[in-house]
Amino acid sequence: MGDILDVISTRKSIRRYKPDPVPDELIDKILEAARWAPTGENYQPWRFIVIRDPQTKNKIGRLARVGSGSRMTAWYCLGEMQERFEKIKDPDKKAEVLRFMYSGEVSEFARHAPLVIAVIGTLMEGSVDVPYDLSAAIENMLLEAHSLGLGACWVHGPVATTRDAKKFKEILKIPTGMGEYKVIAYVAIGWPKEKRKHPRPKKPLEDLVYWEEFGRKERPKYE
Amino acid sequence: MNSIEYCNDIMVRLEELLFHELSGCAHWKVELVGVDFIQSREIKGDTAEQIVQSCIKEIKAAGLVKDMDYKIGGKGIKLELTIKDCIHLPKEKKLKADGVKPYICPITNMVLDQLIEKLNFETTYLARVQIDENSGKCKTISAIYEDESKIGLVCDWSKQ
Repeated sequence: MGDILDVISTRKSIRRYKPDPVPDELIDKILEAARWAPTGENYQPWRFIVIRDPQTKNKIGRLARVGSGSRMTAWYCLGEMQERFEKIKDPDKKAEVLRFMYSGEVSEFARHAPLVIAVIGTLMEGSVDVPYDLSAAIENMLLEAHSLGLGACWVHGPVATTRDAKKFKEILKIPTGMGEYKVIAYVAIGWPKEKRKHPRPKKPLEDLVYWEEFGRKERPKYE
Repeated sequence: MNSIEYCNDIMVRLEELLFHELSGCAHWKVELVGVDFIQSREIKGDTAEQIVQSCIKEIKAAGLVKDMDYKIGGKGIKLELTIKDCIHLPKEKKLKADGVKPYICPITNMVLDQLIEKLNFETTYLARVQIDENSGKCKTISAIYEDESKIGLVCDWSKQ
């Protein structure tokens, strides 16, 4: 069995896509990868809505822009966003990055993605792990897309609030009852327009791993 | 038995649990907490100011807070509410003591809900909840967006 660490460690979120469509056989592979994700007691609560219609993607893009923009405008006005981008020294570049964020444009890219897949989970079949199962399915989708040369991004923004989640459900005609389906995110997919730069830096393992108990950093000898 | 104390204790447990499950975005999911009360009242107004005033009148009349005031600024986007002796203050104190930053203000949610329901505002966002348990005074800062064009209309709210 091959080691997939290369696929995992070279993946990054891609938000800019070429207009070329994603062929059906690749869509099927991504969905197949999702279907094989781990799921508590094999409940498989996930359902996937494959979206290619431009009007629907526009509605989702707008919802995402308003959702992110409404939060980021407030964060900017309260001075909280500026701190996050302190590392950008060029004032013009920093201003443009901040504008991109607080206008909500940062989250609008579903509009331009050739393919959007909404990931939802049924709450009516007894599964006790719906959010975790759906998250595992999304990770599988991202890795499969990346391994096929596609770019993808996991987007939670447009369903982050209860009102927005309801709007998202209405766009896709998903039943809106709180006990029916959970909408966790959508995945935008397409051929990468942006260069596949190396993923953003990650914290080193020694900052993240403890051995045998919380807080213990040194690796004990284990025979 | 004090029913308000009883309900606040239940809310504390639920809020702790929701925060533990969702971390920071728990704060984004709770905008409907509290809206049932205000939706049962007849809130009227043609402007944001009138709606806020109408909500405050009903909230005070019901004894949910002892006093409450508001300011709208920041190009019409910033809504600041000051609330004195809210019935939920004990819940916020307990949450803080348990190490969870208070993130649900049912009173603010009521006002934001009515801006959406009555004036068809595009969206709102409760950005900050500040509790002063010593004075019994809370301050919340929200962003209120009359329409889509208001998204991204920034200024320095510390100077408003």
